Amino acid sequence: MRNTPDIKEFHRPKTVTEAIGLLSQQDNGTVLIAGGTDLLPRRQSGRTGVTKNKLVDISGLGLNYIRETQDAFLIGAATDINTLASSPVFKTSPYTAIIEAALAHSTLTLRNRATLGGNLCNASPHADLALPLLVLDAVLVMEGPHGQKTINLDNFFIGPHCTVLEPSEILTEIRIPRMPEKSGANFIKLTRQHTAIDMAVVNAATCLSIKNGICISARIALGSVGPHPFRAKKAEAFMENKTLVKNTLQTAALFQEAAGLAAKEASPIDDIRATAAYRKEMIPVLLQQSLGKSLERSLS
Amino acid sequence: MIPVRININTEWREILVEPGERLIDTLRDRFLLTGTKEGCGEGQCGTCTINFNGKAVLSCLMLTVQADNGHILTIEGLQDGLDLHPLQTAFLTESAVQCGYCTPGMIMAGHALIKDHPEPDDSLVKHCLANNLCRCTGYEKPIQAILKAATEMKEKSHD
Ligand SMILES: Cc1cc2nc3c(=O)[nH]c(=O)nc-3n(C[C@H](O)[C@H](O)[C@H](O)COP(=O)(O)OP(=O)(O)OC[C@H]3O[C@@H](n4cnc5c(N)ncnc54)[C@H](O)[C@@H]3O)c2cc1C
Ligand code: FES
Ligand code: FES
Repeated sequence: MRNTPDIKEFHRPKTVTEAIGLLSQQDNGTVLIAGGTDLLPRRQSGRTGVTKNKLVDISGLGLNYIRETQDAFLIGAATDINTLASSPVFKTSPYTAIIEAALAHSTLTLRNRATLGGNLCNASPHADLALPLLVLDAVLVMEGPHGQKTINLDNFFIGPHCTVLEPSEILTEIRIPRMPEKSGANFIKLTRQHTAIDMAVVNAATCLSIKNGICISARIALGSVGPHPFRAKKAEAFMENKTLVKNTLQTAALFQEAAGLAAKEASPIDDIRATAAYRKEMIPVLLQQSLGKSLERSLS
Repeated sequence: MIPVRININTEWREILVEPGERLIDTLRDRFLLTGTKEGCGEGQCGTCTINFNGKAVLSCLMLTVQADNGHILTIEGLQDGLDLHPLQTAFLTESAVQCGYCTPGMIMAGHALIKDHPEPDDSLVKHCLANNLCRCTGYEKPIQAILKAATEMKEKSHD
């Protein structure tokens, strides 16, 4: 019988408090498992960061839900990605960008197990769902031995496979505030091959909020072109207060300039999927398309 | 060892498993359900696809402990006595099988799809098979087989 290397214990807590208790025990070596679609293959191939041998399963903590309140959407961290993709809650602009990213994530089969919390906490530079959530100003709720904290997703990632989460903390909920009327968002992903199973060469999301023809807020997020998914804030600032009219040369020129600024904020590397130079060239191409879609959606 | 209770092909089973034991190994080595195949062992090829609580999942990327209290259906559970399931028949009549290594995974992916979408179209079937690699038959015939089975199952349900 083959065994996943070195897994020594598997705990199935029933409450968040119990799970935190397990994570906070001295002799640590505990790590959370949600769907396991990232954690398990990483162990199989003996890649780095797999020194922890006691798994704590979060599937029994009641963290699989999508709820709506007056001013936000609340998503439980253990919600699987197919549930997100098929949720009627996100069928209106600008939240459709969440569905676009969910459908671009891996495959129908994997998405039955892969969770939103796992996608964010593994903090891959390629994480697809991070991008729409960055442009929608998502807030994360984390619980640990010292109680509950909230943090903007924008401040969550600190490096490749590295977040601000302490080993004894759990991401419990993702909150998406309601955006102003006339907001549009889009997610876009460039992959190396035309098969569904591939991480992005470049992935990006944008969100534009328009009032009386003027851009009152712009969000531009990039993935796979830096140590973690991030917002291109110089490009965002450039877009603000600009008059935007769809399908005009003036607006296209503004998008081009913003996309160029965003590319300067990226620091891609060469890897098996693409060279840094190719990634850098693709950023403005993808962002111009994405901004165009977001503008169109904000007006419809 | 950890006690788990799993419904496998309609029968509840209680077993003790290692914490790191993969579901595919439990199925193949403990229950001799060797219809489920291992290809890559890391989520890419889909030969290990089974149904867990009605959804297609990869049994190489699940620990058996994660399946506790759940319902599993494998290729062996599709047949009704000596009668093949319409999906199995369609794979034969459409010549969607050459070496057959990918076939159980494709059929189980198709099975979960038809349950949720009794009238899938071409594009949906392609998405459904996106996690299933085939190195000999190709994809056109498996896609046709799943579409055909869906039609037959629909007709049967109206009988
Ligand atoms: C073949 C294949 C294709 C893939 N394709 C894509 C793709 O296209 N796009 C993409 O973005 N990703 C892809 N992935 C990567 C990945 O599996 C996912 O991003 C997935 O969403 C991870 O979710 P999970 O629930 O399986 O995480 P797990 O493997 O369970 O956990 C991942 C990490 O997050 C931690 N964690 C999980 N939940 C929490 C929580 N609530 N609080 C604190 N920490 C937590 C775990 O401790 C672990 O370190 C792919 C993986 C495979 C195997
Ligand atoms: S063996 Fe499971 S996906 Fe290849
Ligand atoms: S029939 Fe041989 S791999 Fe598909």
